[in-house]
Amino acid sequence: MLALPFVGAAAVPFVYRVLGERTAYVAALVAAACFGLVGYLTAGPTGLVSWQWIDAPGFTVTLSFYVDGLSLLVGFLASGIGVLIFTYSGGYMHDEPGKLKFYATLLAFMGSMLGVAFAADLVALFVFWELTSISSFILIGHYTGSESSQYAARKSMLITVAGGLFMLVGFLLLYTISPAVTDSGTATFLLVGPDSLTAHADGVRAALEAKGLFVPTLVLIGIGAAAKSAQVPLHIWLPNAMEAPTPVSAFLHSATMVKAGVYLVGRFRPLMGTEEWQLLFVVMGLVTMTIAAMLAVAASDIKELLAYSTASHLGLIIAGFGIVGAKAGTYGAETGAFHILNHAAFKAALFLVAGIVAHEAGTRMLDDLGGLWRDLPIAAGVAFVAALGMAGVPPFNGFYSKEFLFEATYELAHASGGLWWLLPVVAVFGSVFTFLYSIRFLMLFFGEKPDELGHVHTPPWTMRAPAVVLAIVAGIIGIGGILATVGVHIDPLEHFVQRVVDSASMHGGEAAAHGAEAATESHGFSYHLPTSPKPAAIMSAVTIGVGIVAYQFYGQLRDGIRWLRSIPVLSANWYYDSIVEGVDRSRLIESTIQTGLLRTYALALFLAVSVMTLAAYGATAVQLPAFTEFAVAVPMAIVLLVAVVSALAVTRAPSHIAGVLTLSILGFMVAIFYILSDAPDLALTQLLIETLVLVLFLLVLDKIPAFYGETRKLLLARDAVVSGIVGITVFLTVLVTTSANPSNRIANFFLDRGGVPGEHGAWILDHGGGANIVNVILVDFRAFDTMGEISVIAMAALSVITLIAMRERGETG
Amino acid sequence: MREHQPTVIAQTVVRIVVPIILLTAISLLLQGHNAPGGGFIAGVLTAAAFALVYIIYGLDYFETEILERTILPRALPGSPTAGDDEPRPAITKEFGEMLAIGLTLAAGSGLVAIALGYPFLTQAVLFVEHVPLYHELEFASALAFDLGVYFVVVGGLLTVLAVVGAE
Repeated sequence: MLALPFVGAAAVPFVYRVLGERTAYVAALVAAACFGLVGYLTAGPTGLVSWQWIDAPGFTVTLSFYVDGLSLLVGFLASGIGVLIFTYSGGYMHDEPGKLKFYATLLAFMGSMLGVAFAADLVALFVFWELTSISSFILIGHYTGSESSQYAARKSMLITVAGGLFMLVGFLLLYTISPAVTDSGTATFLLVGPDSLTAHADGVRAALEAKGLFVPTLVLIGIGAAAKSAQVPLHIWLPNAMEAPTPVSAFLHSATMVKAGVYLVGRFRPLMGTEEWQLLFVVMGLVTMTIAAMLAVAASDIKELLAYSTASHLGLIIAGFGIVGAKAGTYGAETGAFHILNHAAFKAALFLVAGIVAHEAGTRMLDDLGGLWRDLPIAAGVAFVAALGMAGVPPFNGFYSKEFLFEATYELAHASGGLWWLLPVVAVFGSVFTFLYSIRFLMLFFGEKPDELGHVHTPPWTMRAPAVVLAIVAGIIGIGGILATVGVHIDPLEHFVQRVVDSASMHGGEAAAHGAEAATESHGFSYHLPTSPKPAAIMSAVTIGVGIVAYQFYGQLRDGIRWLRSIPVLSANWYYDSIVEGVDRSRLIESTIQTGLLRTYALALFLAVSVMTLAAYGATAVQLPAFTEFAVAVPMAIVLLVAVVSALAVTRAPSHIAGVLTLSILGFMVAIFYILSDAPDLALTQLLIETLVLVLFLLVLDKIPAFYGETRKLLLARDAVVSGIVGITVFLTVLVTTSANPSNRIANFFLDRGGVPGEHGAWILDHGGGANIVNVILVDFRAFDTMGEISVIAMAALSVITLIAMRERGETG
Repeated sequence: MREHQPTVIAQTVVRIVVPIILLTAISLLLQGHNAPGGGFIAGVLTAAAFALVYIIYGLDYFETEILERTILPRALPGSPTAGDDEPRPAITKEFGEMLAIGLTLAAGSGLVAIALGYPFLTQAVLFVEHVPLYHELEFASALAFDLGVYFVVVGGLLTVLAVVGAE
């Protein structure tokens, strides 16, 4: 199933050629198939599938996948919303550039997201995790020509990948302690499933604490999750990521990719849920929720508003997952699990609406828009359901999950007392802002239509339908709450959420609390409208009340927050930009290393190769062969003497032409040397190559100055030293390699088999059957090598064309 | 580069010598299996022959008269390098095709072996007896591979020669 989107992505170029922009629907079909498969998995039992991926001695990596409620939820989101997004893109991307790349990357992204959801071991999780970062990078940078697009893509890549690296270190720490806790006693990356880390959660916690590694591991994994899920202060990449086409924003940056971080938190909750965990994630979540909500109020662009609101809601989910322990009841996990679902439904719907508005009205500025309901009635309806859900107004879906958060924070504060009482207060405070910006978004559709806004055309059905579907889903969840109040439950939905809650639950106290609850009620999870004035209901009422009052002062609030934001020290972006700029200073080094002069590179290359070779000889302590006999025939001696003399003469040559000519004397002497050593093939080749090289040299020499300029003594000395080292290295290498004289030489193997057999049968298949052993080796025994070599020749020729002949075709031309 | 017109002697010598070189190259290619020679050497020799023509008669003659080249445009159509006041040497399409032919031949000869159920690039030799004049002929499938090598080498070297020489 996981392979399907990737195969689809690979097939996109071919499909695109045939179908053009209708590729979107094919991609939607692929997504639908995945959705169906996820649905099929739902019916099946919770279980583990794995196979060996890397099987090196002492280090094995098993690629395993695990199916449970949480992974199914994320899987459903990725594939289900994927279907809608692809359909939507069919309309949205109508006249956008780069559709081919777009669909291929989007499919690949969906595949990696499914991978993240179902990965059961840490390595697989990490690999898919990074894949989502990379595909997100490509999608954000979709408009490759735009400066801001590049900035946004780089920023998101830097932050999420850096976060991923922190996470990797955390994973490795877990791996190191794993042998102590598993049943088998071996190290494992397996996160869930039988004999996994989660199955021994208590042991893992104890082992980590014993080594003092618990908090570092927690923080490292927390950073990874925070970077991915845009938690303060790493939230800054998300608003910039809105540079991407709207379908991407809706898919990656609201419904799925940012959910990966949340998913991680949910996944690790059973493993690492402790007091420290609670402190870290509740604080991080609530701070994010509040700050991002405030920033969303200050936003001037509808996608920016939605981006900040996404970060804010992710904060809510993280805070929900952060609340652990029996004291707070089970509301923590329920908040997280339920809100993942709710948020995906309403936020994706809102993004699609934003896309419709931007596409049809031609602007995304909040101040320029208003009264759109006349032109876009369906979008207005969708926005109504979704925005009120986001605001947390009963009876829309967001209300219930927010209610769980209030409930959980209240219970936690009630149980712990002290400073924890700040939590419900902050939660309410943040929610007020959530309410504010949700209403602001909704107001796009109501009120007076500004005069300067021209005619707004109706979007194609492919763009409307997905938004409507999402709104219906959100609506059903809302209606479920109303029905539950009067005693009718939508069972499949509640069971599913229950399953998710289970998989993110602590095994200890919470499960027990659950058991008690499950015993008293017909099913574990249910939600409904508050019927009695519980604290949480009061908190909701306060939120909405304050929100309505504060909305009158929306303008002042927005200006206030904008003023705060403009102070550089308070803005996380300022830190990011400063750091990136600081790193950019490293370009100073460029001028010394990357000179663009071939001789600098050649110098470094030769020196490095020589030094490393010499070092290797030193390290292995090779024996130099002893000189036993030194007898050379007279002709040979003459040839070699001429060669040496001409080599010396090259260095004294007054001009390039003289130098090249002397050099070719050396080459021809080598050819004669080959003839004398009975190697006619080598000699022929050497002669011909020498001739051609001479011709080429003379052609090139026409272009460069005929005489050497004045060279500095220091440079000359440096070059002499380098040449000396290279010479010594080559000399030693020849000595060492030729001294090795094993009895069972490979040459004998070739000689025995290669030649023309005395008995001429009809066919000889296995061996060469030629008298010229050199050629037989080339075309038969080592034909594969030759194949590679001629490919290299072809490549070299093409490079020459590209480098020299086409240099004016490039971007700089 | 060509201020001095080559002498008549040089031109005449080239006329006579080039066919001989080419013939030698082909014989080297064919005899490679049993005597010194082979695709690589033959290719280099052929390229050397063309280089000789090129030096004596010039690039244009060499390319248009002998090879009937197709000239590829220097700039992509529509790119803003308009105003071709300076005639730029073009890239000859045939050289590229030669590379492609060579690679296809070499790889194809290997694929035949696969089709027959042997490992990639397995070569075979067929002896045909009682051929008039030769008495006995040896056909090596390696010749196809060698021919591929030959084409690639010729194509590659001529490309380099033409491009570098044109500068």
